[in-house]
Amino acid sequence: MKFVCNKDDILNEILYSMDFTSQRNSLSITSNVYLETSGGRLIIRATDQKLGFSTEIAVETLQAGKTTVFCEKLLNILRSLPDTKIDFSLEDGMLTIKPEEQNIDFKLRTIGADEFPSLENSESSSYFTIPQKSFTDMANQTMFAISEDETRYFLCGLYLERNASGMNMVATDGRRLSIVERTFEEDLPMFPSIIIPPKFFTELKKLSTDEGMLDLAITENILFAKIGNRTFYTTLIKGQYPNYRRVIPETQTYTCTMRIQDMLDALKRVSLLVENKAKRIFLDISESGVLLTSDESEVGEAKEIIACQYEGPDTKVSLNYTYLVNPLKVMEGEYFSISFTEPTRAMTVKPDSNKDYFHIIMPMQPNA
Amino acid sequence: MFHAAKTMMELEPVIFHVDMDAFYAAIEVLDNPSYAGTCLLIGGNSSRGVVATASYEARKYGIHSAMPMVQALRLCPHAVVVKPRMARYSQVSSQVMDILRQFSSDLQQISIDEAFLDMTGTRRLFGIPRQAGKILKERVKKETGLTISVGIGASRFIAKMASDYDKPDGLCRVSQGKEIAFIDAVGLQKLWGVGKVTQSLLAKHHIQTTKELRSYTMDSLQSLFGKSMGQFLYLACRGIDPGIFSGEAKSHSISTETTFEHDVTSLSILEQTLLSMSHEVMFRALEEKQIGRTVGIKVRLPDFTTYTLQATPQGTIYSAEQIYHLAKQLLLQKWHDGTPIRLIGVGLYQLYEGSRPLQEELFEDPYQKKRKIEQVVLALQKQGKQVFKAKNLETPTPSEK
Repeated sequence: MKFVCNKDDILNEILYSMDFTSQRNSLSITSNVYLETSGGRLIIRATDQKLGFSTEIAVETLQAGKTTVFCEKLLNILRSLPDTKIDFSLEDGMLTIKPEEQNIDFKLRTIGADEFPSLENSESSSYFTIPQKSFTDMANQTMFAISEDETRYFLCGLYLERNASGMNMVATDGRRLSIVERTFEEDLPMFPSIIIPPKFFTELKKLSTDEGMLDLAITENILFAKIGNRTFYTTLIKGQYPNYRRVIPETQTYTCTMRIQDMLDALKRVSLLVENKAKRIFLDISESGVLLTSDESEVGEAKEIIACQYEGPDTKVSLNYTYLVNPLKVMEGEYFSISFTEPTRAMTVKPDSNKDYFHIIMPMQPNA
Repeated sequence: MFHAAKTMMELEPVIFHVDMDAFYAAIEVLDNPSYAGTCLLIGGNSSRGVVATASYEARKYGIHSAMPMVQALRLCPHAVVVKPRMARYSQVSSQVMDILRQFSSDLQQISIDEAFLDMTGTRRLFGIPRQAGKILKERVKKETGLTISVGIGASRFIAKMASDYDKPDGLCRVSQGKEIAFIDAVGLQKLWGVGKVTQSLLAKHHIQTTKELRSYTMDSLQSLFGKSMGQFLYLACRGIDPGIFSGEAKSHSISTETTFEHDVTSLSILEQTLLSMSHEVMFRALEEKQIGRTVGIKVRLPDFTTYTLQATPQGTIYSAEQIYHLAKQLLLQKWHDGTPIRLIGVGLYQLYEGSRPLQEELFEDPYQKKRKIEQVVLALQKQGKQVFKAKNLETPTPSEK
């Protein structure tokens, strides 16, 4: 195997590949990156057996062939090299990396390409196309509500389901829930509801070219995504997602509207004195304004009033302030509303502008 | 010179061991005076139930705690069996503990009906130890209607045996320097920590009295009885605290333990004991508004080898059943069928204020629901209502894991 390519071309792809290798053990084949060249192309693959990545770039193939090398070392070597064309050649199980016209010579031990696990594949016909931005935005509006409790592993991912005219994305940790119900103009096929590990979206964001399109293919166990020449996939979280519809209140009696920025600023200040484990704040909602208070503690207490539009009885609710901060930080528009029926029941948090997402927050026990 | 000597006198350690007399039975009599003077057995009356407490009248028939109920009823067929009301007991217990705390802030609660109180340096407040003990007994009697036995000594070990020496309604002080005489008076048969098995072991080596026991060196006792047991015997017969009750965290834990009168080898008795102790611990935690992060068990084998094991589940520990399940899992890690156990304990550790706000759940958490039920049971029982969770009293079936 022998090929020549620009440093930046290959470095970029190895950088992406790195995230898909298993980084625990340098002796494992899945810590390696797969390189295969023929006919002026270099195919690069990486997998940790859960996620997989495959891409190709144009190179000058001098001799077709394939091998695998320890991805992290290859990445560090490439990073250290000057910007120039680089010769790669495989001899006696060692991959030689040599920048042209330089006295630099790296040799990396390889593992045979035959030992590299085969990547999952999906028929190109099963892909459907949507705007990248729309899909990553759905994740942005919900991702923070994913559970971190591994005993409830099925809540540790984003739930994606087909709706009549598009897709719903849902995240919940059992205490708050965030949902986007998005309509797509593009034709979407029917697909089974799936639970997507959050790492998929971390990678999607890195690989995203923002304005472009995204091809998705969904099977029972795997979600495939394609952006340009790059294909990646994740195995899905298996398990029964709870019947989340049941916990979304159909109607709420009272609605209080506030400026998003007012609330964020006030939360930032009042939360300075909020006890760190429970993270509880109180909202005293009245027609004259919303009073935010921290619990009284040894350290002290904090109070702040913000303006609101509200008609209803004076109501005190207590909740984990991060459940408000997380969605408000990414909420569009100027105003948002908190709707409720009783201070001890689920509240609905919505952008005031006509958007397709909202959040359900369970309060804390008021006076325990 | 004189001044220094006086200070030394004042700092002589004074430990109270407070033991409530036939605690569960006494409360039942208090709440239902018609039980007075009867053979009262507290415990589950199913075929696998065990006696949690027996009244002094019942003890005359040879009934003791952890005895299978069936056997107890054979010994005393006319006994009255009452199901335990843990919530009520823990309420009274915390009432008593509150009184104790007024005598000294250094309180170590061993179980629902037992506590050590470090009264060192309180002479000016309450008078000499015996006088303080008398005031304490009167206060408890006046405020709760219950009698307690108080043992006073320079160590926990001596205090514990002293409370047992003059029971019920006792007050026994062993002054410093009189420990060996006290041990000899108690005798080898009643020496704390020396059960039937140890006694027969000792008899094999022709050791019948504490005096004879003292004639052996530490080394020879350890070679005869094993390291832990040998050391225990060597110290115990000299009236030196073998450290049985030390090492227990003073705060941030709620625990209880049961020493079996006869070593137990049956899983079903261990399960029952764990279950009732789990309820005791849970109700004490509810009463003190504490929530535990960690469940621990303590297992002591007949040779005094002691294990402690802990488990910290992901979520919150909400109910007695949860404690029981964790405790049982821990037990099964160390215990194999037929291994005799002399003591078993259950505790909640890493406690935090239960008054800390509880986050409500969107989806139902089965354990949280159970905690709520237990809170309701506690509230109702405080109003004097007789409420039981049927499941608490049933023997867990072997299939339940």
